[in-house]
Amino acid sequence: MPVPGAVDTTAILGYALPLTVSPGEEVRFHLSSPAIARAEAAVARVRCADPDPDGPGLKLVFPGTPIDGVVPLREQPLYPGSCAIVPDAPALAALSGFTAGAFLWPTAPGLDYAGTIAQTVLARWCEETKRGWRLGLDAEGRPEFVVADGTGSWRAVSPHPLLEREWVLLGGSWDPAAREVRITVRSLDPQSGRDRSATVAAPGPAALSWPADTVLTMAGHAAAAGPSPRVIGLYDGKLDRPRLYAAPLPPDALHRLCEALRPDAGDPLLLAAWDLSEGMDTDRVRDRSANRLDGTLLQMPARAMTGANWDGSTRGWTEAPWQYGAIHFHRDDMADAGWEPDLRLTVPADWRPGFYALRLRARTEGAEPVESFVAFFVRAPVGRPSARLAFVASTATFLAYANSALRLDQVHAEAMLEGLIALSPDDVYLQSHRELGLSTYDTHNDGSGWKVSTAARPILNMRPRGATFNYGNDTHVLDWLEHFGETYDIVTDEDIDRHGVGVLRPYACVITGSHPEYVSRPMLDAFDAYQRGGGRHIYLGGNGFYWRIAFHPERPHAMEVRRGMIGLRTWEGEAGEDSLAFTGEPSGTWRTNGRPPQRLVGVGFDAQVFTASAPYRWLDGARDPALAWLTEGIDLDAPLGEFGLRGGGAAGIEVDRVEPTLGSPPGLVWLATADRLGYGGVPVPEESRTLHRGMMGDQNARVRADLVFFTTAGGGAVFSTGSIAYACALTCKDYENNVSRLTRNVLRRFLDPSPL
Amino acid sequence: MLVNDPAAAHWPFDPSRVELALEFRRRPRGPHGDSLQKLLHRMRWNGDAERGARWILVVVEPNRRWMLAELPFRRNQPVRTFPNEIFTSLAEAEWEVFKRRWAALAGNPLPESIADAPAGT
Repeated sequence: MPVPGAVDTTAILGYALPLTVSPGEEVRFHLSSPAIARAEAAVARVRCADPDPDGPGLKLVFPGTPIDGVVPLREQPLYPGSCAIVPDAPALAALSGFTAGAFLWPTAPGLDYAGTIAQTVLARWCEETKRGWRLGLDAEGRPEFVVADGTGSWRAVSPHPLLEREWVLLGGSWDPAAREVRITVRSLDPQSGRDRSATVAAPGPAALSWPADTVLTMAGHAAAAGPSPRVIGLYDGKLDRPRLYAAPLPPDALHRLCEALRPDAGDPLLLAAWDLSEGMDTDRVRDRSANRLDGTLLQMPARAMTGANWDGSTRGWTEAPWQYGAIHFHRDDMADAGWEPDLRLTVPADWRPGFYALRLRARTEGAEPVESFVAFFVRAPVGRPSARLAFVASTATFLAYANSALRLDQVHAEAMLEGLIALSPDDVYLQSHRELGLSTYDTHNDGSGWKVSTAARPILNMRPRGATFNYGNDTHVLDWLEHFGETYDIVTDEDIDRHGVGVLRPYACVITGSHPEYVSRPMLDAFDAYQRGGGRHIYLGGNGFYWRIAFHPERPHAMEVRRGMIGLRTWEGEAGEDSLAFTGEPSGTWRTNGRPPQRLVGVGFDAQVFTASAPYRWLDGARDPALAWLTEGIDLDAPLGEFGLRGGGAAGIEVDRVEPTLGSPPGLVWLATADRLGYGGVPVPEESRTLHRGMMGDQNARVRADLVFFTTAGGGAVFSTGSIAYACALTCKDYENNVSRLTRNVLRRFLDPSPL
Repeated sequence: MLVNDPAAAHWPFDPSRVELALEFRRRPRGPHGDSLQKLLHRMRWNGDAERGARWILVVVEPNRRWMLAELPFRRNQPVRTFPNEIFTSLAEAEWEVFKRRWAALAGNPLPESIADAPAGT
């Protein structure tokens, strides 16, 4: 239901692939609407995405394209939930007495998700015919093993519901000679009330007729026959070393089989021994048996997870991959909506790089007119710049925040934001449409953190009219550039990650936006090399270059972060799971990886402030006559940025500080500071050596935003503002204000090739 | 796991301290005195547990009009909107929710002389 009286931004949803295109390349729009049969489509270049009438307002330019016009729509469903599918094989169809087993770490036994409670762990089961075998948890969270062939169904169930987040050995076996089915559960830590061990036998058949053409599945079972069925009965939790053996095994033998990292592949009874520690950056699951029953993962479950055998001797999976043979499946994983494309546009060769979006309108005369956007980016071809200035689209950060439910789910949200939560219609939709998949700020339905985010799904907060944070705030900078007639190219984080410093090097000056928080190692290396090579970098944001992430080595528009034990984290990863499955690199903050943001841009994240933003005051460094070009036309005795659209000042939301001990350069000029942020200035957790009162901004001079300038080798330079709110002060007072003037002074000088 | 406890804010509520309500009415965005900060933290952290939801606003027109609504604590439960409760200022919306939360904590509404006090900014 739309919000009464508001523009309906969710009746039509979609995503664009590729997310970033060069002129001459094709972008595809994948659309869906459950209720609207056709819409009016138009492609826009986005100058300002923020509809706030106190700011520039929504500013879109429509160049006219062949796809502008009526587009028919259809509903394309979303099926969240990760699983593995192993193609059917003769060895599976010929199965007689057998055992299926694995180590299990369930995270939501007996808990509902989308109307389903029972969860399948390992199966070759066709739900349509209710035939096959299935090992899993019943609606009470109790382990069960079921075999059925249409003439009968036989089930063994453990009496004990499993505990959340406790490892068990789980096995199910069918013994046709004994006419018995058996479920085996063995708690790996049976102490102090945790024991859920049981072995229960129940009557079974002497013979069975298995379903034909049915895949084997992990973390769910097939809804129907065929090679690519929908998988239902999904599972929340980890699965480690799943095994299939062509004989009924007693518990000790099953335990030995599952514990063995490499069971004897020459054993003719070994049907499958999956090693989930192989191919961490792939969607493949590898079988080490002679049958090669390899499988494929759907919807990107979390890999490189600690297994039942993780002993704490390492925190990085690359050092001991055999201890990371678990995959954590989630019933709400969503990496690829899989929608068919509805529109295709070849971007004209003469288009200017920029933020672009497909606008879809319908019911324009109604009380809740539909206006929905699908964002994409047009870059200049790599190495062929069309301007001397580039603006970096922080696509890693946009993906990290994609469909953030932080304000919906997290207890602290209203206290942190210092006021009533005001949800947009997009947020209202997300509350009851979690199938879109959430952001890396959120937790899955089972409480574990989202580690991976992709663009192959609708993203509500990366588009015009969406939440202002990040994408919307950054378009205030674009609008400001356009107002002053500056020509700029767009480059994206992902392009920098893929192609390195060559993406940045052609530009005299590069601007990073309001919040470039998520950075891969190739990105950081590229910015560093750009600066050292004479590049000039304007960082118009706060909390930049903070988290270490990776883009997937092959899959487009997919990023991963692990939130370790330090940093401003909205969830905390499990012990030992600090390293990225995509690359094997440690994740967490760049500070804990030896490259704090202060080293790159002079300042680094130190505090949040949502009560009110503040102005900066000028420091002596700004009065150096050698910097007259920087302060020209500015009264250094007046506050800088005593206005702004985010909290009424230019310094606020998230702020950065000079910190020599973390790498702020000795040659840095500390131009200005906003160090009176009041009691609402709350320091980041890594700023505390111990616990004491007096840490808030009203008592703590280290809670502040600093504005700095420094030169780098080869004629390069850096100007940093250390505040998210800064970008949304640029356009105030009809673009004529001291924040705007300062930024123009810097930009003009940075584009001037003469030495600084 | 790192989790937040919705019942963790336990600063004792004192219904006799109506001066805190007046202070909030005069300066809804602060800065606030120490006691009002603590009262607001208690209200904002806990949400509105007796309703199984949190009072929120839904944006009807960006930065111009907001609608009162309830955000259920449970995921997937739809937001409940109150189309007749429209605000054209965030300060008025904050005051309305403050009064509702005060009444829930105290068991009685704020005295009329305070509930009807003139707004600050």
